[in-house]
Amino acid sequence: MATEPTNRFKPLAAILGWIIPGLGHVQIGERGRGALVFAGVAFLWVCGLLIGGIDSVDRTNDRLWFIAQAGSGPVAFVVDGLNSSLLKKGAVGELIDSPGPRSQRRGAPQQVSTLKSMAQANEYGTLYTALAGLMNIVALLDAGSRRTPNRRTREGSS
Amino acid sequence: MNLLAWVPFVGPLPSFGAWWPLLLIPLAVGISMIYKALRVPSLDRYVREVFIMTLQIILAMVALTVVLILVVQVIVPIIPAD
Repeated sequence: MATEPTNRFKPLAAILGWIIPGLGHVQIGERGRGALVFAGVAFLWVCGLLIGGIDSVDRTNDRLWFIAQAGSGPVAFVVDGLNSSLLKKGAVGELIDSPGPRSQRRGAPQQVSTLKSMAQANEYGTLYTALAGLMNIVALLDAGSRRTPNRRTREGSS
Repeated sequence: MNLLAWVPFVGPLPSFGAWWPLLLIPLAVGISMIYKALRVPSLDRYVREVFIMTLQIILAMVALTVVLILVVQVIVPIIPAD
């Protein structure tokens, strides 16, 4: 019997692709593609964090960007946690008074880390990591919907 | 650029002055790496395809920049204010 490709969406591949970028492709037997997807997502994350630091991922202040970054999987939540525990609490760098955004200037000045990223560094860091997340969503949808040989048919033919 | 106080991955890269548009290049490379990993039928031509797509993105951005410069610095000043 000839091997027939299956068209059904594979949720397990998509979920695995979210947990670790590229793992969805590995699960459906496309190891090379999986490794390249992982390399691409990792490259964008490393570049983004080198340019913008861990302040590029901020679930409370940059919520919409974080939704895109979360497409890369748990790494976005880990970096956001590091941002909260290291920078916002002053464990690394110093906390200094800042007037904050115009809309929040009525109360006491808020404290920000001296390692907080600003301007182009923050914009590029956020953009790199958000695009990594969005591209990984494309990759995990591809892993879930890619036509693969039907295992049941293949096993029956052997 | 003062790199002495830079803590990689924790703090932001120190000021890159007027060179910041060059940061578009690794961004284009990263996007091309992921996109072409999904699109090429055979991975034999992967590196070549990534290179071509990176070049296309950068050239498109340069073209957009030129168009915007023309609009802002040449066309807009010609338009009468009233």
